[in-house]
Amino acid sequence: MLNKKNPGTSRRRFLGLGISALGSIFGLSYVGLIGDFFNPPPLQARTLQEVGQVTDFPLHQPKLVSYKGAGIDEGVYVINFGPEGWLALDFHCTHLQCAVTWIDATQQFVCPCHGGIYDLKGNVLSGPPPKNLPMRQIKIQGESVFVGG
Amino acid sequence: MKKWLDERLQTNALLDSLFSHPVPKQSNFLDYLGFATLYVFISQAVTGILLATVYHPSATEAYQSIKILQSSGVGTFVRSLHSWGSNFMVILIVAHLLRVFYEAAYKRPRELTWVMGGLLFIATLGLAFTGYLLPWDQEGYWATTVGTAMAGYVPLIGDFLVRILRDGTQVTGATLTRFYSIHMLVLPLLILVAFLPHFFFVLRQGMASTDELAQARERGEDIETRSLPFWPNVAFRMVLLVLLAGVLLWTLSFVYPKGLGEAADPLNRNHYIPEPAWYFFGVYQLLKYFPGKLDIIALVGLPFIFFVVLFALPWLDRNPSRTPRKRPVALGIAVLVTVGLVFLTYQGYASVPKPLSNTAVTHPSFKNDVAPIFQSKCLSCHGTSGNYALDSYQNTLKKDINRGDPENSKLVQRLEGTDKPQMPLGQDPLSSAQIQSIKNWIKDGAKNN
Repeated sequence: MLNKKNPGTSRRRFLGLGISALGSIFGLSYVGLIGDFFNPPPLQARTLQEVGQVTDFPLHQPKLVSYKGAGIDEGVYVINFGPEGWLALDFHCTHLQCAVTWIDATQQFVCPCHGGIYDLKGNVLSGPPPKNLPMRQIKIQGESVFVGG
Repeated sequence: MKKWLDERLQTNALLDSLFSHPVPKQSNFLDYLGFATLYVFISQAVTGILLATVYHPSATEAYQSIKILQSSGVGTFVRSLHSWGSNFMVILIVAHLLRVFYEAAYKRPRELTWVMGGLLFIATLGLAFTGYLLPWDQEGYWATTVGTAMAGYVPLIGDFLVRILRDGTQVTGATLTRFYSIHMLVLPLLILVAFLPHFFFVLRQGMASTDELAQARERGEDIETRSLPFWPNVAFRMVLLVLLAGVLLWTLSFVYPKGLGEAADPLNRNHYIPEPAWYFFGVYQLLKYFPGKLDIIALVGLPFIFFVVLFALPWLDRNPSRTPRKRPVALGIAVLVTVGLVFLTYQGYASVPKPLSNTAVTHPSFKNDVAPIFQSKCLSCHGTSGNYALDSYQNTLKKDINRGDPENSKLVQRLEGTDKPQMPLGQDPLSSAQIQSIKNWIKDGAKNN
């Protein structure tokens, strides 16, 4: 509103609001930039990688395969269930993510940290893990096995 | 020179206010812990910058660059100073916090100083945590994997938090870059931003221990006989404490240099068993008391309550008194929490397997020679209860031990692999010396000695 007695107030108010608004937009833009940089990459965005031939994987025998990931060797357990299909299991225990090991003699995955035990399909059998071993993507193309995600 | 500066910046008045205020005669060394923390932080900054001049922040080169650094004596020493310095920071800042709590110095009018101190405390823990990963060795890699996994227990957003921390689902080269920038830029900046007001408030308001004198002076009493001038008397004592901290830091770094373990192996082919840094032993041990679904209490609930209480303390504690005797509840709770943390840290520390001897003992004792082997190799899976337990003499005897006849004892057969599956499951078998020690013990009659 224009105030005749004190015509400067309205302009001052307008300028004040404008500068605060512009400043806020700039400030928020920086927050946006930070958010964008710290946002982790989306899940399963990476392309699958070839880790071997179908014949490399005997039936019901988990095999730890490795491939080049983001600056490190990544790995998954690949299990061939024959006509029932294939499974790629993450090897990090779901309790606190120590690496589990496949024990042939007992047919179990065992975690050395707090004694979590999983079966061949990654289901929790005993110990503290709250969830089954996560499944990763796996694809059979012709004779080649691809994993990742 | 002094005059030249004073003409332009009125420095004399400023210096007077900093150095000439009176301090009570019973000035306590514990009141200078903050100053000692500042010294260690400066030492961290200097050694950190030196390390940054040779360190390569990438998953493929980090380990090698530290290895090259370690090949020189001075390099090893600087890294040891930095590593020991991080321990000093954590200890001194906790001691400083406890002293301020005991003195009730967080109360009006120093609430903001306390809150800034809380930020400094969190930033210090953050620096310790992010620095652990940077050498890219097995110890750092797996401690970071486990440490960041803890965030996954936060309800609803847990998985997302873990991915933010790691910049992905796993600890990778991207995590290293993220931790490096946070360790080098974000947290030091946060420390600076929180430290400047923290320090300014102390200068402006004086230490809590000088309040009584200030009030007496306002009443017009003569305080000459009860006080010392800050400069040079008290300042000298402060510098003395800093020198003591410095000598201790340099000596420890010299006598116990920081080693470098195996390079990080994200596939963990050698079955390395992770263990946390010592300041996380408390949480690590707490986990053992909250089994199964209650993990969330130890991992999220208790730490969350701790930090909320820490920051809200000046407003939660409405008792205006500063005399310890008139604050039984506050001090009682603090003693309980401190004793609890020290106890948990000690328990966690004691439960970490110690290195085992590599020569067989001819006449082993159960307590000194046999039980430690079970402790480090078996207990992580076999636990302390149920039929599989191996934690006590009584439970060990349940493992079909034929006194005097090791070859026909199932325990030995399992360890040697003649009876499948060979123990320990999924890890390298025990060394022949360790098995021989156990055999000798059974041969001697498997006594509880």
